[in-house]
Amino acid sequence: MKLLNRKKPEPKLPDYITENVSEELIRLEDLVKIYDTGALKVLGLKRINLTIHRGEFVAIMGQSGSGKSTLMNILGCLDRPSMGHYYLDGVDVAAMNPDELSLIRNRKIGFVFQSFNLISRTSALKNVELPMTYARKGKRFREQRARILLERVGLGKRAEHMPNELSGGQRQRVAIARALANEPPLLLADEPTGNLDTAASVEIMELFSQLHKEGTTVVVVTHEEEIAAFTERIIRFRDGEIVSDSSNVRKEPESCGTGSETEKQEATNATETEEQGWESAGEPREYEADRNMKEREKLC
Amino acid sequence: MLIENMKMAFSAIRANKMRSFLTMLGIIIGIGSVISIVSIGDTMRSMFEGLYREIGVTQAFLYIGYWVDDVRQSDYFTLDEMERIKEVFGDEIAYIDSNSYVSADAICGRTTVKFSFNGIDYNYQEVQPVDMVYGRYLNEGDVLGRRKNVVMDTISAMNLFGVENAVGKSFRTTLYGTTEEYTVVGIYQKKLNPFQAMMMGANTEGGEAFIPYTILTWPNDYFYALRFFARDEATMDELYNRIKGYVAKSKDRKPEDFRFNSAKDEMGQMDSMMGGLAMAVGGIAAISLLVGGIGIMNIMLVSVTERTREIGIRKSLGARTRDIMIQFLTESAILSACGGIVGILLGGGLVMAGGALLGVQAIVKPGVVILAVGFSAMVGIFFGMYPASKAAKKDPIEALRYE
Amino acid sequence: MLIENMLMAFSAIRANKMRSFLTMLGIIIGIGSVISIVSIGDTMRSMFEELYRKIGITQAYIAINYWVDDVRQSDYFTLDEMERIKEIFGDEIAYIDSDAMTSADAVCARTTVKFNYTGIDYNYQEVQPVNLVYGRYLNEGDILGRRKNVVMDTNSAMNLFGVENAVGKTFRTTIYGSVDEYTVVGVYRKDLNPFQAMMLGANTEGGEAFIPYTILTWPNDYFYDIRIFARDEATMDAFFDNLKNYVAKSKGRTPEEFRLITAKAQMGEWDNMMGGLATAVGGIAAISLLVGGIGIMNIMLVSVTERTREIGVRKSLGARTRDIMVQFLTESAILSACGGILGILLGAGIVMLGGRLLGVQAIVKPGVVILAVGFSAMVGIFFGIYPASKAAKKDPIEALRYE
Repeated sequence: MKLLNRKKPEPKLPDYITENVSEELIRLEDLVKIYDTGALKVLGLKRINLTIHRGEFVAIMGQSGSGKSTLMNILGCLDRPSMGHYYLDGVDVAAMNPDELSLIRNRKIGFVFQSFNLISRTSALKNVELPMTYARKGKRFREQRARILLERVGLGKRAEHMPNELSGGQRQRVAIARALANEPPLLLADEPTGNLDTAASVEIMELFSQLHKEGTTVVVVTHEEEIAAFTERIIRFRDGEIVSDSSNVRKEPESCGTGSETEKQEATNATETEEQGWESAGEPREYEADRNMKEREKLC
Repeated sequence: MLIENMKMAFSAIRANKMRSFLTMLGIIIGIGSVISIVSIGDTMRSMFEGLYREIGVTQAFLYIGYWVDDVRQSDYFTLDEMERIKEVFGDEIAYIDSNSYVSADAICGRTTVKFSFNGIDYNYQEVQPVDMVYGRYLNEGDVLGRRKNVVMDTISAMNLFGVENAVGKSFRTTLYGTTEEYTVVGIYQKKLNPFQAMMMGANTEGGEAFIPYTILTWPNDYFYALRFFARDEATMDELYNRIKGYVAKSKDRKPEDFRFNSAKDEMGQMDSMMGGLAMAVGGIAAISLLVGGIGIMNIMLVSVTERTREIGIRKSLGARTRDIMIQFLTESAILSACGGIVGILLGGGLVMAGGALLGVQAIVKPGVVILAVGFSAMVGIFFGMYPASKAAKKDPIEALRYE
Repeated sequence: MLIENMLMAFSAIRANKMRSFLTMLGIIIGIGSVISIVSIGDTMRSMFEELYRKIGITQAYIAINYWVDDVRQSDYFTLDEMERIKEIFGDEIAYIDSDAMTSADAVCARTTVKFNYTGIDYNYQEVQPVNLVYGRYLNEGDILGRRKNVVMDTNSAMNLFGVENAVGKTFRTTIYGSVDEYTVVGVYRKDLNPFQAMMLGANTEGGEAFIPYTILTWPNDYFYDIRIFARDEATMDAFFDNLKNYVAKSKGRTPEEFRLITAKAQMGEWDNMMGGLATAVGGIAAISLLVGGIGIMNIMLVSVTERTREIGVRKSLGARTRDIMVQFLTESAILSACGGILGILLGAGIVMLGGRLLGVQAIVKPGVVILAVGFSAMVGIFFGIYPASKAAKKDPIEALRYE
């Protein structure tokens, strides 16, 4: 509670941010996206109808050019549909202007990208703080929350590191911590493991599973079956259309031990002492996760 | 948020030190040269004001206008008229004389020095104080008795006699055709800064001496001009107008036919001329500020292109158009303002150092400095506008895809 | 290879149009302002020369020097003396008069106009040709007979009589106290450009007239100075010196005690002043060229960083350090030279346009243009050296690895 005791009053937010809490987190109605490339018009998405409920863990699959990235951009409010409706948390965002969309992205969506997209020459801590900065949160609040989030993804000791001093897996975990900064109801991951090796990929997917268990809605776009296997619902795309939508029996997570071994190899820049600290990180991490859950409850 | 933006700006500036420095350098040179030129102008103006205060700012000369075609002898002045003016205007006039001077060779033993003799009344010291070091000033007796006594400065004494204390020494000179012996009764020390010495003609070889005006002006002489010192600077213009009216009437002329040439007017003319020149040249120097501003714009455009992906990330995290705009504007304003501050230090420093070298009091007005900082920040914001809006308008998807 | 390099440079410049344009813009503004200022200076100088040619470049005045204290009546001139000078220097003098002028109200019926009268000899037209449109010029008979005939310009005639052709019309005026009736015998048209009209005092309300000098100068008059036009511009300086020596000797004075004012010397003073001012202000404008050069350096540094990989590829293909150096130097020199050429067009264009608007012949000297192009290319090379050597020194392996 102390953390919420901020000096400045929070700026007044529109009703669609504060009031709507819908059980249907995402609802697409007859969604069409046309790309106008001058001479010819390309149909990106053909009348998509889709509903994702709060708390789901969904994979969107398809070959490149299947329309999954287009859908991802629209779900993430980076792009607007040409026709149809997109209700996010019960609000039609299809007709919103760019600044309103910025606000939606800031409060309702957390992005995780294939290429991490951390801001270079900016510490992990500052990267995680950024969404809170755009949400006009106070400095002390931002820093404390960013540290909590970094600890939750197992990077508490790397808060001051620059992105180029971190391994790929570590970078992606910073990106996940950043995506969680404003406690968005929706976590959107676009090929989150595309630039990672198998072990690190498993780590990241486990982290998503963990977040899902804690109640976050997670949507992962991927073309890899092994990654989709972590989710509970798989939606397959081809030529701008949904070809199948099925539930998936979630694969049991592997043990964490192997993951930390890989981390050790990946973290080439890490110092000696930190490496030693890292070796025993496997078990305390679960403990940390528990503790962080309590922290999270406090924050809520 | 402002502090956050400033921190971001400083870290971006620090990330490309060389580039930022060169960008600033344009503004540094621009602001530095504008500040120098304006300050040199201000310094010159104050030096001229000092000079006019030295020769007496209430000083004025009255004479018939040069545009008058049919000048008569009665348009000139006589001692009688001078006395009458003294009586009529009495206390308002601090000093009046016939503005008489002549130059002639002064001879002492084998030394001949070209001297300028300035005819003065005994109370000249009241309006033009000198620092007497030996002997006494000319007194009423010298003036009324037409005594051949003179007062000169130490340098003139050195030139003529080879000693500073020349009190009691005498020399021969020929004034208006008659050769006579003159005696030094007093010596004063000139206190002029190098600029004043230059403008008033530092007499390193020749000599100057004060001599009773009654020796240079004869009772039945006509002389061209009257020299006045008003008692009160505030009311001097009005006084001089009345004197002009009185003199014109007594000579059966229109007041417009006479001309008052006052030190204050001359100073005003000099001042406005200098001010105008400094403005014009400062304006031309400001062209370099424009070029510096264009440099900022160019580098900010490069920076925006390089950081396209960063812009995309920020937008995906919820940055609004305004947030991006302000981020880049802050950066260009800081670049420019830093350049401006360094430029002021450089320009102000140059003027100060130059002033110290030349032994004059350099003037760098706070108003000019404030204007310069403000202007340089304005330059930054103005030339940052286009790159910042270009950054802010980027499409987030394209920006994220940018390699 | 040179052509190859130039082609590469042009394609690099075209690849970043906005950036290249802004970089050039600095040089364009710099060169443009230097060219404008120097050309304005040259134009002013030529305007002054033309003005002096208009009033007669061989014209001179001789008078007693202003610093001579004991001026005697014999220091002034008489008509007899003038005649003697004419006899002695005959061939070398094109024209001589007593420089007599006066102003008085000319009255015609109910119209009163302030007129300036210039006393001239009948052959004044030979040294100061006028475009006579009605009637005749003053002739020898008018002068010797002291006839009350005048010649005036069309404007003056309009002002006084309301018509241009005022030949035969009369007016009354008071010269030296006597009221007389004067007759217009000729009317001429003034051909002045706006600048000359301004400098010579365009008389839009008043009037000007030529009148026999014998009316203004009486045989037993003393006048202050004589006005002479030499016949030959090439030898005039020696002639005027001789004349001054003769005058001084005839009056028992040293030559230094007489003052010779020649139009040529005055023109020379103007010319020097203008030249000096244009150089100084042009130098200050050149500061912006320095700033523009820094802009080139900065952008070239950015360009080198961006093209690190390209440099690596070129080196792996066998490019030597020199090749890379020359490639980037060519690029910066072309950037700067293009800016210089555009700057010249801009600066010269502005001066030409301004000249057209003000109705004067603007002068842009080819020498200045050549200097400006050369200087801008030099700026490009000078400020390109650092970035080019930075590019050339890159390690090929690191350069290939660069992201």
